[in-house]
Amino acid sequence: MSGSLLAYVVRRLVWTIPVVLLVIFLTFVLMRQIEGNPFRTSERAVPESIQRNLERKYGLNDPWYVQYAMYTKGVLTFDLGPSLVLRQRTVNEIVKEHFPRSLELGGLAFLFAAVFGIPLGILAALRPNSWLDYGAMFFSNVGFAVPSFLIATLFIYYFVVQWDVGFPTSGWTNWESKVLPVVALGLAPAAYFARLVRGTMLETAQQDYIRTAQAKGLRRRRIVGLHVLRNSLIPVVTAAGPLLGYLITGSFVIEEIFAIPGIGRYYVTAVTARDYSVVMGLTVLLSVIVILANLVVDILYAVLDPRTREARA
Amino acid sequence: MRFKRTWLWVAVLTVGLSLFAFGCGGGDDDEGDDGGGGAAAEQVITVNWGTEPPSLDPGLASDTTSAAIIFNIMDPLITLDDELNAVENAAESWEVSEDGKTVTLTLRDDLEWTTGDPVTAEDYEWSWKRTVSPELGADYAYQFFGIVGAAEYNECDPAKGDCEALREEMGVEAVDERTLRITLTSAQPWFIQQLAHTSFIAVHRPTVEQFGENWTEPANIVTNGPFKLDTWEHNSRIDLVKWEDWRNADEVSLTRVNGRMITDGTTAVQAYEAGEIDVNLDVPPEEIARLKDTEDYQQYPYLGTYYYGLNVKNITDPLQRRAMAMAIDRRTIIDNITQADEVPATGFTPAGMPGFDSINPASEFLPESGDIEAAKELMSQVQNPKTEINLLLNDAPGHREIAVAVQANWQELGLKVNIRQQEWAQFLEAIGPPPGNDIDAFRLGWIADWPDAMNFLELWTSDSGNNSTNFANEEYDQLVEEARATPDEAERYELYAQMEAIMFGENAEMPLIPIYFYTATHLERPSIQETFNINPTSQIDLRPVEVRE
Amino acid sequence: MVVQPGEVTRDVGGPGAYAGTAAGAPIRQTSLWRDAWYRYIRNRAAVLAGVVFLVVLAYCLVWPAVSPYDPYKVDFSQARQNPSLDHPLGTDRFGRDMLTRTALGGRVSIGIGFAATIVILVIGVAYGAISGFIGGILDNGMMRFLDALYGLPYLPFAIITLAIIGDINFWSMTVALAIASWFTTARIVRGQVITLKENDYIRATRAIGARWYRILLRHILPNTLGVLIIAVFLELPAVVLGEAFLSFIGLGISPPEASWGAMAQEGREVYRTSPHLIVIPSVAIAVLVLCANFVADGLRDALDPRTRET
Repeated sequence: MSGSLLAYVVRRLVWTIPVVLLVIFLTFVLMRQIEGNPFRTSERAVPESIQRNLERKYGLNDPWYVQYAMYTKGVLTFDLGPSLVLRQRTVNEIVKEHFPRSLELGGLAFLFAAVFGIPLGILAALRPNSWLDYGAMFFSNVGFAVPSFLIATLFIYYFVVQWDVGFPTSGWTNWESKVLPVVALGLAPAAYFARLVRGTMLETAQQDYIRTAQAKGLRRRRIVGLHVLRNSLIPVVTAAGPLLGYLITGSFVIEEIFAIPGIGRYYVTAVTARDYSVVMGLTVLLSVIVILANLVVDILYAVLDPRTREARA
Repeated sequence: MRFKRTWLWVAVLTVGLSLFAFGCGGGDDDEGDDGGGGAAAEQVITVNWGTEPPSLDPGLASDTTSAAIIFNIMDPLITLDDELNAVENAAESWEVSEDGKTVTLTLRDDLEWTTGDPVTAEDYEWSWKRTVSPELGADYAYQFFGIVGAAEYNECDPAKGDCEALREEMGVEAVDERTLRITLTSAQPWFIQQLAHTSFIAVHRPTVEQFGENWTEPANIVTNGPFKLDTWEHNSRIDLVKWEDWRNADEVSLTRVNGRMITDGTTAVQAYEAGEIDVNLDVPPEEIARLKDTEDYQQYPYLGTYYYGLNVKNITDPLQRRAMAMAIDRRTIIDNITQADEVPATGFTPAGMPGFDSINPASEFLPESGDIEAAKELMSQVQNPKTEINLLLNDAPGHREIAVAVQANWQELGLKVNIRQQEWAQFLEAIGPPPGNDIDAFRLGWIADWPDAMNFLELWTSDSGNNSTNFANEEYDQLVEEARATPDEAERYELYAQMEAIMFGENAEMPLIPIYFYTATHLERPSIQETFNINPTSQIDLRPVEVRE
Repeated sequence: MVVQPGEVTRDVGGPGAYAGTAAGAPIRQTSLWRDAWYRYIRNRAAVLAGVVFLVVLAYCLVWPAVSPYDPYKVDFSQARQNPSLDHPLGTDRFGRDMLTRTALGGRVSIGIGFAATIVILVIGVAYGAISGFIGGILDNGMMRFLDALYGLPYLPFAIITLAIIGDINFWSMTVALAIASWFTTARIVRGQVITLKENDYIRATRAIGARWYRILLRHILPNTLGVLIIAVFLELPAVVLGEAFLSFIGLGISPPEASWGAMAQEGREVYRTSPHLIVIPSVAIAVLVLCANFVADGLRDALDPRTRET
């Protein structure tokens, strides 16, 4: 058994390498398709000599395959190159300084979603069709449907401007400044978790083995705790990986509205400014993270549920 | 299945009601600070600079945010007052030779870096040559192209040519510790004012050589201005503290200037209202109507022109271009969209520019509220009108609204206007020059680099890299050449007036339609309003700022 | 694994999601659809959501033609009026009737939503069907590739795509939203195809020598139709929200057209003085997403009795 698990893990790891290379290649090719001059950032024309100097400085006058080789080599040695627009900064510095903020925002939002959403789903499932259930499901549907920019705007308006409960409008410094963005970002995943857990629990409760357990006279609490809950958490685990990727990048809007110095704000401005190295660096980085997260989740899943291993081998 | 229906209803109703409640509860809470009085005990303010400054290196900075901060941590040779006159600063005097081609600056004798090293003329020579050097790749190297040999040095390819020799030949020389001699390619009467630009600020050579690109990080940076860089958390905050040993430290009141970077206009206004920031440098147009009557709202003239360029190769008949200009109702655009009391443009050189009164053509084709009847009349004389107009914009929100208004105006002339939005980089690529064949009109603006109309009017020569209209007029080109060599102000303004007349006078070529002259809008606490000011080139001088009780 | 109510397939799900959902076996067509219909109309929440959805759709399509107001006419004297009898939803900053503008915005939002969903399904079905049906090394490679891309944040790729195309219009928006969003569909379809492929009936068809593409087109794809219909309504809200986000960060389609997202972005700037300008388009988005989720739930219950809730 453990042998086949090991083989599965190794196989997945080996497959990761060409996929990462492919992502680097695709990103590189995509970026080259974008028109626009990274060195003309304002309406002011850039004199030819200055344009040439800049292209020389950043190696953009080399043939594309040289640039590609240099870039791939850079990525593999964890050097993402200099930013073309923020002239004094490298992509590595930008990642090092800003990525942890996005990670923290995404992580906290995920935590919020789990801590708030899962119990809500359990409560709703324990009392199906009660007011509690209606309330929880009302929340989860609305939480999912209302766009986060409206939620963020409402939050700032009520909690800061109207009621002044002590949260600042923006920034990412003390805990007070983190509450509103985390909740604004975490609401949709919380709603999703609540619905996911409730649905799976009700589903599991219909399964034959649970009915058998009931028939055997096991106490309700034990059934819920032991069987239903454990089985219901599996989809939550599997949803976690992709959700984390969503949370890190889904924070584009939240970071902008709350002026949080995360990676999302950089991303949008970098694409607009044709900061090729920043866009490529961040895209590759995000992709690798998602690839690794998927890998971990799939392996976890294979451990939890041996059937998948065979199905997917 | 029954419960689903129930909570669907609840869901829909509650969403509706809560949003409705939000809608009705529009807020009106303004803080009632009172201005005037003596100096407050705590001289600390928080400014929202808007965006992250791309660079605090005077050689590399090319945007207003970077410039605003650099001005206050460095000591420019020359500053500009509210009327845009040159004022001695680090340079205690200057002298211009008879032919206007040699400028000699004398530095003050008490200039120091924060390390205690003296600031010398050699620092300037080295810094300027560094900015022009092909290795640095500075955007604003062209600021120096009026100096003998600068353009040649910048064009040098280090792999091929002998750049060192060209470097030596560049016309800037430290004669002694305090004397800097500059040789210009021609008389450039505006050169002294141009020295107020960030590009001409010196950097501390040992620091730059030691730390390379990272020299502007707070741990490394060496400055020579009234404030020091205290912290710089990228994309978040940039804090300045007073440098107690600065030459005129007695005249500086503020002990600390905290900087924030809130790019979202709505959030920034809310942060101001919540008391988190004391100055917000840009009020979103849509908030102006609500804030205009508060005592916090401040408005400044700004040397810049917002215009619509026309592709004269596509819209060939000047009559049609004049008709299109006449149809635009600027007053309505300003009152309803931009809202900051911008000045309806009557020429290209903006109001507030030295000599404006004699340069401005007061064009009959640029009536403030538009003249649709006269425009239709003109349009009826057009032989082969271009009836379908592709109007290109960049996708920043403010431009979209103006374009919709212009679209409505031009529709009345029987023109079908297709608005196309592109994002900034793509947009710049599309308008060239030369502009793409499928582009008939585009929007753009121009902000002064230095206060002389030449900075605006030289855009429209036939070989200008900023002329995206395909407009080419020999007479105009000649006038520009002539004006470049005319030190006398009155004579030069006369030449400028002739250029404006070619574009917007009686026989207007109308290669572009000026819409309005910019203004700058701020939110400022009443306690600092009196002393917090910007000049028309948007330079913020924090030295005189004082927080009053 | 069971696809859960309202699951937005793009963001979440899991490796299990493609293990097969509905229509495990080919069933006699007529009774399948008739049964599904009866099950659907018994689900009153889903029926209500469906009706609301159709009403919104009809409003967006019909109202601009019937409305007394020209949705493009600029009249600043009427700008930013609050809701009134003349203008039930008020007017926007150009004095245009919001009831009419919202209908036009809906055309854009829902139109892009459906267009992108269809593109997603086409790519996803093609990829999943080929991978699942041919199997072997090709399947393995295609699936590992998909595993890697799965859950890849689609926004960065949407932004890059828009930058490449340059002009932001209906079709570039559609492509941008679809380009990194078809992974889940591909997985689900592959799972379906594999389940069906092993089915006795298909084996029999094969045994009598039918060509592979014929089997795929005639026998396998029609049996995945149920899943695909559900997928449309699962994908739609995600696409509509995605478009709203892109518009919100300034990458919306060109004026004078405007999607609900673009309208909300404009409205946010004036929400203190004219809150209706952000509330109306946001509510429109929310209602559409809610309805689509309920319809998807209802369809799943109807088409896949095994997951029916009690």
